[in-house]
Parts: sequence; structure tokens; C-alpha cells
Amino acid sequence: MSDADLAAPAKPAAIDARGSRILQGTGWARQLALPIALVLLLAGFGLADDRVLTTYNLLNIAQQTSYLALFAMAQMVVILTRGFDLSLGPTVSMVSVAAALAMAGIGGADANGIVAVLAAIAAGFALAAACGLFNGVVVSILGVSPLVATLGSMNIAIGVATTISDGRPVQGVPAAFADLFYRGSILGLPIAIVIAILVGGVLAFVLSRTVFGRSLYIIGTNPQAAAVAGIPVKRLLVYAYVLCSALAALGALMMTARTGSGEPNLGGTLSLQSIAAAVVGGTSLAGGRGGVGSAALGALFITILSNGMNLTRIDGYVQMIVLGAIVILGVVLDRLRLDGR
Amino acid sequence: MSTTATLPGGPGRQSGQDILNLVLTVGLLPVLMAIVIIGTSLMSPYFLGWMNVVNILRMASFLAIIACGQAMVIIAGGFDLSVGAVVALASVVTAKAMAAAASAIGGPDILAIVIGIAAGLGSGLAVGLFNGLCVARLKVSGFVVTLGTMSATAGIGLLLTNGIPVYGMPKGFVQAIGRSQILGFPLAIYIALAVVLAMAFVQRRTLFGRYVYAIGGNQEAAVVSGVSIRRHLVGTYVLSGGLAATVGILLTALVGSGQASLGGDAMMLQSIAAAVIGGVSLRGGIGRVEVVAVAALFLTILGNALNLLHIDSRLQPIFLGLIMVLAVALDEFSRRRMSRV
Repeated sequence: MSDADLAAPAKPAAIDARGSRILQGTGWARQLALPIALVLLLAGFGLADDRVLTTYNLLNIAQQTSYLALFAMAQMVVILTRGFDLSLGPTVSMVSVAAALAMAGIGGADANGIVAVLAAIAAGFALAAACGLFNGVVVSILGVSPLVATLGSMNIAIGVATTISDGRPVQGVPAAFADLFYRGSILGLPIAIVIAILVGGVLAFVLSRTVFGRSLYIIGTNPQAAAVAGIPVKRLLVYAYVLCSALAALGALMMTARTGSGEPNLGGTLSLQSIAAAVVGGTSLAGGRGGVGSAALGALFITILSNGMNLTRIDGYVQMIVLGAIVILGVVLDRLRLDGR
Repeated sequence: MSTTATLPGGPGRQSGQDILNLVLTVGLLPVLMAIVIIGTSLMSPYFLGWMNVVNILRMASFLAIIACGQAMVIIAGGFDLSVGAVVALASVVTAKAMAAAASAIGGPDILAIVIGIAAGLGSGLAVGLFNGLCVARLKVSGFVVTLGTMSATAGIGLLLTNGIPVYGMPKGFVQAIGRSQILGFPLAIYIALAVVLAMAFVQRRTLFGRYVYAIGGNQEAAVVSGVSIRRHLVGTYVLSGGLAATVGILLTALVGSGQASLGGDAMMLQSIAAAVIGGVSLRGGIGRVEVVAVAALFLTILGNALNLLHIDSRLQPIFLGLIMVLAVALDEFSRRRMSRV
């Protein structure tokens, strides 16, 4: 679960030595800080309100976490390479609207909605891939900073989402779509949790056991060294941004199934929330450090915090202040961890 | 540039090269601005009308003041995402303090006005100081810290007002600062001119300005040369917070009430866009506030032109996004060419 574990398991001896040094330097107390904080937070809210620790609410937290975890993982992939994706939220809106429009367009033409669902998936992923491709090409080939590139594509995606939907929710999502991405369950677990766990598992494997994943860590740690070592930095950066957008698209389809309509405002604050979740979990904005575990933990932390504050009826405006404070605290802790090495 | 002369190519290619060279030497900004102004004035009779010109200049002044502060922070190698929220906070604090002082003191309006302005400016400076201390003392990334303070500041602004506009300011404030005109132009334009001139002087002729360039250009070299990094980094954030608060106060005077909805994310993004289009390098160390002010004027003209030409407001973000990416990509491209020659 820890970042050090994910940064360590490369085969070459040199990197292995570096990994073990990280493990010694960081120590267990720092690694366990966030999980312990999670348990304390949950216990504290449980004492404050007895609805917090019910099976129903815990399942609810898990389900909400799975959406944010997907977005945090998406963000984490590009943060590993010293980038970030401000267009993630608008991409979610755009995919949601496009998928709903595709389904509404096909409408009642097919009886059980399979064609409509496939069309929605195709439309959503195609748009997201185009957005990711744009980000990746602008960042890696044109050499524009990720902030400006994704700020640009953020504006473009907002424009596309509101234009094709006329700024209104898009109705006409068939039941088959909601069954596939929201209502279904496997072994009693809601489908959203299953999808998040599956995607997280595959992504963890890709990041820690494939050449592509290891290369992302090296690019983030030292881009010059990565280029000298013969890693096709530009191509892999494009892949990273496309992967980020694709994961965001998956989350967008799941959220569209949950709301039952294509929402042009669905993404809202997700860009910032996903960055916050990744950073609080321990992904370093300096690149090269982080993993699926850290993204998921960060997402869980933020979800529990907002769920608990909602149930204990803490003012929404105060929640904004608390979220801001948590983000700052997260990076300060990250800085202390780095200094601890 | 000697390599371009020896390049073989047909006449069409040559003229393409000429245009590219023109854009690279003059800069994209004047070329684009001329195109927008000429094109719009041909298509809309209202564009060059007196009311519209004054309106454009007023709106550009607000953006230019904020963008100057943003530019200083970016030149020093940082980022200030909290400026939009500071505008809102300063507006609310100014209105609350002024209304309270007016009803408590009762005496001449001028005292209440001064107290209100001081409180508003103070709130902005305080947020800037917090940002600066986090960045300089704790060495945390400016992006994340200001992401956190953005959320927290917006939360405080909403909490203070519950989202309801604050009234009760002395009439003199609105008349003297918001609606007064000198030689036919609103006061805000003169304040913006003064700010830009002062900042241009600071950048060129003061130690603070030169040190900001030095810190952004090469932090290690600046440290070795004996520059106090921390103090000047804090200074840039305080400056940015103070300028954002100034805009908050001016906007409050214009609309006649304190509102937590002023500024916001749109203003923050536009200030970054103005800085970046105005040639400020996100890597730090490069940029001139007067060019940034021209970029702010350009962005305001562009938005106004798109409105007058009846272009769907939902499509407008797409233009902004594309122009921003284009400007930075071109900047990067010309820098690479220069370093190659």
C-alpha cells in the first residue's frame, strides 16, 4: 500500500538499492500516518453521530470513494510524470453529456438497449481519448507546461460539454446502462466498487510490473536521465495523458449511470478534488512518487471527511475551509516525508 | 535567423516563413489584437462606441491589476490560484467592515470608508502572507498551497455572508470610488495605470524586482549570490494578495454591495491566461508586467468582441483555451529556434 513499496520493485540492482534506502528513511510511523488518521476520523465521526458507523453508510462511503478513487488514480498517472490534468473535471462532464446524447439518439431503436450502451461507451471513450491526445501532444511534443496545456483543454472541454448539451441535462439514459454501471452488483458488492477494485488492481500491476509503468516513474524522477536511457519520453507522456482521460471517462460513465442523465456540470470541482485526493494520499507533485494505494487512500480520506461532516451537519461553507486546510496539510506532510529521507 | 535564408522553398513557403518570422519577432499578441479589433469594428457598429470602449477599459483594468500580481508570483517561480477567492473575500470584508463602522461611528463617511478599505486590503494581504509563508518557510509547492487557500478563502467569504450580498455601505464610497469619473474615464482605469506603471518600475529599478527575476531564473544561483529567497517569495505572494484585494474593493464600489460571488475561478484562470499570453514564462524568471497588462486588455477585447458578434457564450471558453495553448506553444517554439541558432 505504501509509496515506497510501489517505487521499489524494479528489477535492476541500482534501483533496488534506492528503494531500500527509501524504506529505511521513511519509517513505518510515517507510512501508517494516513491509515491511522482514517480510523481516528471514522471513530470520531462515529461517536458524534450514530448513523456514521452503520453498514448502510459504510457501504455508501465505499461506493462514493470508488468514483473519486478512479479520478484520483487518473490524476496520479500524470502527476507521476510531473504533470497534472486540470481538464479532468470538464472531461467528465463532456463524456457524460456525449454518452447520454449517443444513447438518447439511438433511443428505442433497439429493444434491450445493448446497442445504445455500446454507443455510449464508444462515444465517451473516443471523446476522452481525443482530449487526452490533445493534452499529451501539447505537453510532450509542443513542450507547453502541463498547467497551461490542460487549462486550455479544460476551457475547450467546458465549451464542448455545454454546447452539445445546450447547457441542459440530457435525458433518455436507458435502464440497461444504469444496470451495467450503477445498479448491478457482484457477490453483494455494488458494481462501482467492483469496477474501482478491478481497475485499481490492473493499474497497480501496470505501474509496478510493466516497462511502461516503470518508465513513468523514471520520467517523473529524472526526465533527462530517462531520455538518455533510451526511454521514448514523448510517446509515453502522450500515453499517460490518454490513460488519464480514459480512466476519467470510465468514472464519468459510472457517474452518468448514477444520476440517470448526462450532466454538463457533472465534472464541477473534480479536477481539484482529484488532485487533492492524490496529493493527500502521498503522490508527490515533484513526480516519480505515488501509486494506486496512495490515490485510493487519499480518495477514501476525503470521502470519509465529507460524509462525516455532512452527517454531523457541518455547514457546507465550513467544509470548503476544512478541505482547503487538509490539502495544505497534505503537502506539508509530504514535504516533511521528503525531508525525512 | 541565417538558416532560414538558405532553406530551399517555393514562393508560397517563403511567404509562410515571412508570416511566421513576423509573428515571432513582433509577437503573437499585437498581431492577434489588431485582427480582433479591425475584424470586430467592421462587423459590429457598437464595438468602437464610447460606452463600449469605456466598458472594455474598465473590465480590462480589473483583470490587469490582478494579472500584474499573478505575473510577479509566476516570475518568481510560483503560482497563485487564490486570487479569485481573495477578490470575493476582500469584497465581503470591505462591505461588512464599512457597514459596521458606518453604523457604529456615525460620524463622517470618510472614516468608515477608510476603515472598510483597510480591512479589505488587510484580508487580501493576510491570505497572501499565509501563501507566502507556506511556500517559503515550508517549501511546499505554490500550486497546492494556493489550491488549499483558494478553497478556504472562498469558504470564509461565503461563511461571512451566507451567500447573501452585504449592503449598508456609505453612499460616498460608491460615488467616490465606484462611479466617479476623471476626464470621462472611470477611476479604476487610472488605478490600473498607476499599478502597472509602479510595477514596471519595481521590476526594472528596484532590488525587489531584480531579485524576483533572479529567484525565478535560477534559485540556487540567487541563494549563492546572497539573495534572501524567503523574504522575496513571501513578498510576491503578499503583493498578489494585496492587488487582488484592491480589485475586490473596486468591484465592491462598482456594484454597490459586498458579494462572495465576485471574482471566483473565472477571474483566477483569466489572470493566469493574461500572464501566460503576456509572455510570462511558467518556468520563472521571464516576463514584463506591461505586456501582461496588454494581454489582459486583449482578453477583455476578445470576450467583448465575441459577445458583440453574438457568438454563443458556451463556445467562448473554447476560443480562450485555444489561444492560450497557441500563445505558449509559439513562445516555446521561438525559444527553441533561438537556442538552436
